[in-house]
Amino acid sequence: MADFNLFDAEEKTLEQAEELRHGMADAPAAIRDGLATLIDSYGRSVREQRRLVRVSDRLQAQLATVNHELGKRKAEAEQALDDLKSAQESLVQAEKLASLGALVGGVAHEINTPVGIALSCASHLADATQDIKKLFEADDIGVDDFKRYMATAMDTTSLILSNCERAAQLIRSFKQVAVDRTSSERRDFDLCAYIRETLASLGPHLRQAGHTVSIDCPGGITMTSYPGALSQVLSNFVMNSLVHGFEPGQIGEIRIEVDQVEPDQVRLTYADTGRGIPDQNRGRIFDPFFTTRRGIGGSGLGLHIVYNLVTGPLGGNVSVESPAKGGTAFVVTVPQVTASPTV
Amino acid sequence: MENLKIAATERSPEVDFDFEHGALSLRGESYPEDASTVFGPIFSALESFLATVGDREIRIDFDLTYFNSSSAKALMNMFQRLDHAAAAGARIKITWFFAPDDDTMKEFGEDFSEDLEHVAFNLIAIETAA
Ligand SMILES: Nc1ncnc2c1ncn2[C@@H]1O[C@H](COP(=O)(O)OP(=O)(O)OP(=O)(O)O)[C@@H](O)[C@H]1O
Ligand SMILES: [Mg+2]
Repeated sequence: MADFNLFDAEEKTLEQAEELRHGMADAPAAIRDGLATLIDSYGRSVREQRRLVRVSDRLQAQLATVNHELGKRKAEAEQALDDLKSAQESLVQAEKLASLGALVGGVAHEINTPVGIALSCASHLADATQDIKKLFEADDIGVDDFKRYMATAMDTTSLILSNCERAAQLIRSFKQVAVDRTSSERRDFDLCAYIRETLASLGPHLRQAGHTVSIDCPGGITMTSYPGALSQVLSNFVMNSLVHGFEPGQIGEIRIEVDQVEPDQVRLTYADTGRGIPDQNRGRIFDPFFTTRRGIGGSGLGLHIVYNLVTGPLGGNVSVESPAKGGTAFVVTVPQVTASPTV
Repeated sequence: MENLKIAATERSPEVDFDFEHGALSLRGESYPEDASTVFGPIFSALESFLATVGDREIRIDFDLTYFNSSSAKALMNMFQRLDHAAAAGARIKITWFFAPDDDTMKEFGEDFSEDLEHVAFNLIAIETAA
């Protein structure tokens, strides 16, 4: 093993050449010189080969080390990326929980008001009923007493009704906020036709005030998505335009435009010609419970629901714009085919 | 004679010389610090084996993915030796395997086969089970 030699054959050849040279001692000088030169340059060539092999071995070893190191670094980087991703996921999860907590707190707070009013009306009615019962049993009831009782009963029952209705409506909205991906149906549908249907179903609200709606939608866009979610988004936009956008007596315009910026993406722009959203509110309109109509019918959940629907089941994003010519515009960008539910 | 079986290391190939059945193979990578520690045993075993083969049929597989220059030189020496044995009557069949996307290994195989006159040399592309 110790006598292993990569250039064994070459060295043997050199030895044989050397012998040949000795054996040709009597040959003419020119031939001997020529042979000596040949042997010399062959020997040099073999030495050079050895050197080259050594040099390139060293380079290849370095290369292998570098490759090895590279592989290690790559694995480390991939690991780091994985860690980062799972950290991000748990952050998102934590964020969701926190926002759910805030939502629950907000809902409790919101519901407290109508329930509190209903409760105090009910107890007021109970007291008044108790009083009139006593008078009745004592056979001491007068027409005025009865009239006063009737008035109280009318007032309190109508307050109880309206406040319970309000509470029920809040609970309904809250249920919508917690959108369940699997409960809404995912299917194929024609986008433009679906938008028209949705707007038609909102027609009564719109026609009353004489507002106009125009829909500019290139035909033939088939979506694989959640039509229910989409129509809920549109309804919220329309209701907001009616409630917040248009001034009383104004004949407003609503424009819905659909285009495809990228092959599989659909962009829906909803715009009204209402009073617009002031700069300082624009960053908060998607927050739960942000409303400029607190106490007069606004709960501030509408656009939060929109946000959840668009970023959740619909898998896209939504933003608000303030067109230079006034009014409000919402831009919803969603994939034509949503990811199938992952449950 | 005794078979030669050496497990692969990070820098040296797996050696599996089954002399009894005339089936020899080298697989893996070869860029040892010192070529003689890897190829010394290979050559001495091959040397003694070839001295006994006569006109036997022998199959040798090379399935290498990477080697350095001294390994290349050792391989050339090996091919030379095998070609001599084939000239002397042994029926030697060399198969050079390479991954389909590895043009370098394919070209090495072609280069090595150029000087061989007596052995049968096959180049075969195979998907390695990575
Ligand atoms: N088209 C619009 N024009 C002007 N202001 C708007 C428009 N849409 C929304 N806003 C503003 O954004 C706020 C939040 O809207 P959002 O729909 O979330 O709540 P809301 O309409 O007040 O209550 P809810 O929808 O729960 O009944 C509104 O109170 C209003 O100030
Ligand atoms: Mg609203």
